[in-house]
Amino acid sequence: MVTEPLSRDAALALSAAELREHGARLFAGKFTDAEGRGRPMSTQAIVPTKRRRAARAAWQRLSGPDAGACGSCHNEPVLGGAGDFATNAFVSEGFTNPDFDTLDPQFSNERGTNHLFGAGFIELLAREMTVELQAQRRAALNRARATGEPVKAPLLTKDVAFGTLIAFPDGTVDVARVEGVDPDLVVRPFGQKGVITSLRNFTINAANAHHGMQAVERFGARWTGEADFDEDGVADELGTGDVTALTVFQASLPPPAGYEPENPAWRAAAARGARRFETIGCASCHRPTLPLESTLFTDPGPFDLAGTLRAGDAEPLAVDLAPLAEAAGFARDEAGRWLIPVSSDLKRHPIADEQVAALGNELLAQRFVAADTFLTAELWGVADTAPYGHRGNLDTLDAAIRAHGGSGRKARDAYAALSDKARDDVIAYLRTFRTAP
Amino acid sequence: MRAVLLSCLFGVVCAQAHGAEIPRMVQETESGLSHAYEGPWEFFVGGGAAAFDCNGDRLPDLAIAGGANPARLYVNRSVAGGPLRFEERPLGLDDRRARRALGFYPIDIDNDGLRDLVMLREGRNLLLRGTGDCTFERAGAQWGFDGGSAWSAAFAAHWEADARHPTLAFGNYVDRSAPGSPWGTCEDGVFLRPRAGETPDYAEPFALAPGHCALSMLFTDWNNSGEVALRITNDRQYHLEGEDQLWRVDPERPPRLYRRGDGWRRLRIWGMGIAEADLDADGRPEYAITSMGDTKLQGLDPDEDDDLPTYADIAYDRKATAHRPYAGGDHRPSTGWHAEFADFNNDTLFDLFIAKGNVEAMPDFAAFDPDNLLLGDWSGDFEEAGEAAGIALDRRGRGAAVADFNLDGALDLVVVNRGDAPSVFRNTGPVGAETAGNWLMIDLDQPGVNRDAIGARLSVRIGKRTLERRIAVGGGHASGSVGWVHLGLGVAERARVRVRWPDGDWSHPYEVFANNFVVIDRGAPRAKYWYPPEAEP
Repeated sequence: MVTEPLSRDAALALSAAELREHGARLFAGKFTDAEGRGRPMSTQAIVPTKRRRAARAAWQRLSGPDAGACGSCHNEPVLGGAGDFATNAFVSEGFTNPDFDTLDPQFSNERGTNHLFGAGFIELLAREMTVELQAQRRAALNRARATGEPVKAPLLTKDVAFGTLIAFPDGTVDVARVEGVDPDLVVRPFGQKGVITSLRNFTINAANAHHGMQAVERFGARWTGEADFDEDGVADELGTGDVTALTVFQASLPPPAGYEPENPAWRAAAARGARRFETIGCASCHRPTLPLESTLFTDPGPFDLAGTLRAGDAEPLAVDLAPLAEAAGFARDEAGRWLIPVSSDLKRHPIADEQVAALGNELLAQRFVAADTFLTAELWGVADTAPYGHRGNLDTLDAAIRAHGGSGRKARDAYAALSDKARDDVIAYLRTFRTAP
Repeated sequence: MRAVLLSCLFGVVCAQAHGAEIPRMVQETESGLSHAYEGPWEFFVGGGAAAFDCNGDRLPDLAIAGGANPARLYVNRSVAGGPLRFEERPLGLDDRRARRALGFYPIDIDNDGLRDLVMLREGRNLLLRGTGDCTFERAGAQWGFDGGSAWSAAFAAHWEADARHPTLAFGNYVDRSAPGSPWGTCEDGVFLRPRAGETPDYAEPFALAPGHCALSMLFTDWNNSGEVALRITNDRQYHLEGEDQLWRVDPERPPRLYRRGDGWRRLRIWGMGIAEADLDADGRPEYAITSMGDTKLQGLDPDEDDDLPTYADIAYDRKATAHRPYAGGDHRPSTGWHAEFADFNNDTLFDLFIAKGNVEAMPDFAAFDPDNLLLGDWSGDFEEAGEAAGIALDRRGRGAAVADFNLDGALDLVVVNRGDAPSVFRNTGPVGAETAGNWLMIDLDQPGVNRDAIGARLSVRIGKRTLERRIAVGGGHASGSVGWVHLGLGVAERARVRVRWPDGDWSHPYEVFANNFVVIDRGAPRAKYWYPPEAEP
């Protein structure tokens, strides 16, 4: 069925349930060429980029378009979930060699499909972290300007350290020792590399790359001079309302709630494994919980840039995710903050070294992030979303842990040195990280 | 997801007409710039301004010529994203010397990290040495500079290879003391190559003869050779057999004119201002040259050899002639002055600003002659947007400063008007939208000589496209800027910046994030980020 693009105003006129329903339809339904699927004259790049000549094929498994629907890959164990190895995506900038038809890593990075459960909470956590980090930079600069002396400022948010910056009295900042986040101190929590700011931004990127469905707010006439940038005969393929609906749908996917095993032996092993997970150092990056001040998910978000709808471009829409947190049984701390059991620090780390290099298997840096550096994978839902690793080529949790090098090396070695039983406890613990109750 | 017209389905070029996004230029009436460029015939031309940071806060300050009135200096007191506010400071000149100024160009001549000012005058030109915190002292005698007694309206500067100090070029207008003046009595220009030494020494002038009443000049790397030439536009109102000129500037040799045999093609216009931009990013810049009537837009003639300076006019093809007012109903030809390429709407495309205004009361030319804002569009053409942007005022524009005065990533505009206060426009984003495209502001710094990297080229890669900027002192109409270089990035969130430093060395790529101010120190492994002062909430 050919659908009309949904405007922002039309989206705002819908109830939250209707908006989610529209988002679910767009997420699950397979786009057709009558709706604009395909991009014969446009590449997969996030910056609108023309091809020199028309794509040779309307579908292309490697360079895309490679899927009819979001749900074609994000479907395990249910819609919005992860994907098996068969759904791997091949990520390239798309500026040169946009039609690569080889697995050669000099052309693309092969990535497994992540699940999106609880994605709204992840974005909210990242927004709050960004606010705090940028406030710390601002305070350091103000102090440097006031005192006339350089100020070395540790960057710390939600008890996660992001290195230090040096603020100078002239207003410049040295970011050489900033760690795990881009120099602009925007925590980008999506994608295996942590290079995508928001679900909205992710949706626009992915819709173009995988479906050839081009969002008006990025590929439309305002920024390209053309309503049909990909020259497939369909103008204005995804309206701002469509992207809003997709964003709200993903943000509202229920978060993994964890699982309390009925089997007493498993329960006991998981409890021991949780302690072990801490003591051997896994939890230093895979933070069991991160505190969240507010569950109000606003769209557009505060840190997107031009090409993704921004605050100021449109009337904001707010969805409170608190009911999801309550349903999932999330705890709150003494300050009333929700403790989101994301099991990540939302920080990037180098994850390979000379001896343990399995996760350093890429050749191409992505958006200024080195080839061996990845965002700490969120472990919630990990029990239901094998295979593992950013390439989705590790069958078991044990294999995934043993693949950690770089920043994860010490914990990995400690894990490897455990007794079989102790390792089983850790795995038993991770097996409680179910996607949904 | 609507189907486009059938005619578009099979065509290679399928672009639908879509207007460029129009910046909303809000006139600031309480900016603090209370000043008028006035005076008799000698000040029918000129009326320039320099935008540069003179107190180290990285906000562009302003020096504005006054003609018969004293020139003035204004310190920028704007806050980031706020209204444009300036506060007058003494320029440090006695009343006599402060008057009769036609224009200003900023440049750090003595490499002390403090910008100096070149003050073009009707009479003795002045070099004002910056001494910090927006104070200046006359340095002509100290630097062996004889300001002469000519009527100067054009200036350009460039560091030649291995030179410690810049080569200066002055363009002079009518020699009023010559018999028959003013017709055919144009004064020669002056070319000042510094002597070797620690201190600037300009005691050996070379005459740029013949002079043809220059009103704007620019050192330009026209053929991407790394060697500059001096492009001069001249006013045919007073020269008889003159023309626009391109001087070849070979190291350690006197400049010599490109002639017909070298490929130079005669251009005779009422040349008022020059701007350069590499519109097609091929390394060879295009030039906008203002005049009375048609503005010229010149690119190398594609039918001629690349190594010949043979230019063809592409203004008509690109819809950039701007030959008569676009508003007000006066259909007589326009009079163009300052020209400057910049990206006012952050869409990555060059726009072209032209200050307009009747010389004084010339009856054959438009009396109501609003400034132009020609927005570049995706087809490569320009579209007039002056009225919609809000800059179509009844003023006689002359020089101008295009800079981000309130450090919000959008270029603002100050136009010096003859007989009226400057027009001050704050760019508040696109008409019909709250937010504009992404942007990047870059400041280059190199140690030792030529601190502001005059002559450097910035090559900014976003996706498959390369945006080019060249750092230059000269051109426009008696007006120049030094400091932040602005680029609109459209929807790009990141960019790779490479610098071709003035000596020809290329930097490694600097990876930077959009919507930031970045400082690139030569040789530094990474760019530094800079932030305007911001109150804590």
